[in-house]
Amino acid sequence: MATTTATITIASTDLLTDELSLASTATLTTAGTSTGLTGTSGLGRTNFTVGGSAPFASKIIYRANDATSNGANKIYLKNLSTTATQYFTVYIDQEQMGRLYAGDWALFPWSAVDGTEETFITTIANTWAAGDTWDFDGITTTAANSTVADIAAQIHAQNYPNWTTTISTAAVTFTARVAGAAGVVTGTTAITGDTVTTAGDGTAAITSGAAGTRSESDIIVVPSVATTMDLEHMLFRQ
Amino acid sequence: MATTTAAVTLTSDLLSDNMSVSATTTCMKAGTTADGLDQMEYGYVEIASGTAYDIIGNTPTASKASKLYVKNHSEDETYYISVVLDAQAVGRLYGGPNDTGDWMFIPADFHDANADVEITATGGTNKICYALFHEGTVLVAS
Repeated sequence: MATTTATITIASTDLLTDELSLASTATLTTAGTSTGLTGTSGLGRTNFTVGGSAPFASKIIYRANDATSNGANKIYLKNLSTTATQYFTVYIDQEQMGRLYAGDWALFPWSAVDGTEETFITTIANTWAAGDTWDFDGITTTAANSTVADIAAQIHAQNYPNWTTTISTAAVTFTARVAGAAGVVTGTTAITGDTVTTAGDGTAAITSGAAGTRSESDIIVVPSVATTMDLEHMLFRQ
Repeated sequence: MATTTAAVTLTSDLLSDNMSVSATTTCMKAGTTADGLDQMEYGYVEIASGTAYDIIGNTPTASKASKLYVKNHSEDETYYISVVLDAQAVGRLYGGPNDTGDWMFIPADFHDANADVEITATGGTNKICYALFHEGTVLVAS
């Protein structure tokens, strides 16, 4: 079992009459257990050179999809700026947590409650021919033969930028990689953006679908200036 | 000027190589390098399961460089507090044996009257220590 610890020391000799020295070590474990956390994003560094004028463009540092909902996840952030007036404003979704000024760091638990991913099933049916195509998410699948199960397998074998797939015979289930109400799936039997080109009467009907909902706990950071600022960050997840 | 430092060390054997990340900051007033945060609140509370509680009773000045430390001293790892900012879930601080429970250290903006830091206890009576470092509060007339 991995062991991850976080130690904090807060000290001051002149804030109070008596010296302040507060120290604590936490062993980061999964929710409600003594088992250590098993995942981390590793230490990362993100540059913010956003240009333009205030309010400056934000960046999503971690999406709720990146961790287990209501797990004992932890996030570490540090403002690497050395200019005292430069700060990052840290948000959880739309709620402003606070400002990380130059050199400041933060460590906090993260519920990572995500939304739901859009999903739909497309079923390859009727008469297809070799050379027929189905386009979706910028990917074109060209039928190698006329067998609908084979065409479905070809569609399933593609790597889509925004979707993952599973397959059952001639039915391919698409699930969005990220939770959100992207509007690609607009109802139980409709999506936008797919195109069938067939010499016969081949179809790729949407036989079921569900719209998604957006996540409400993404970690969003906004710089205070348009010029270069750097943020160091790390996610520990269960 | 008061000088208060906050240091963190993160160590882990999660990766192929051992990881050790350290950072230290001197808690300054917003946008300065010459004037440290000079006011603080420090407390210890026991919160019964199911009870929601605003851990900060007054309102520090908004949009400053306030820092908030919260530690769960509960010895049972199934006990936790849920931390909420203005109805937005932040996360859970779990307890742990031998005082290894979770802690957090965050910049706390208190950007409006609703931006309270609320905690709710689960599992049993949670023992919570907290400290707020700030540069002034909105005083309420008696």
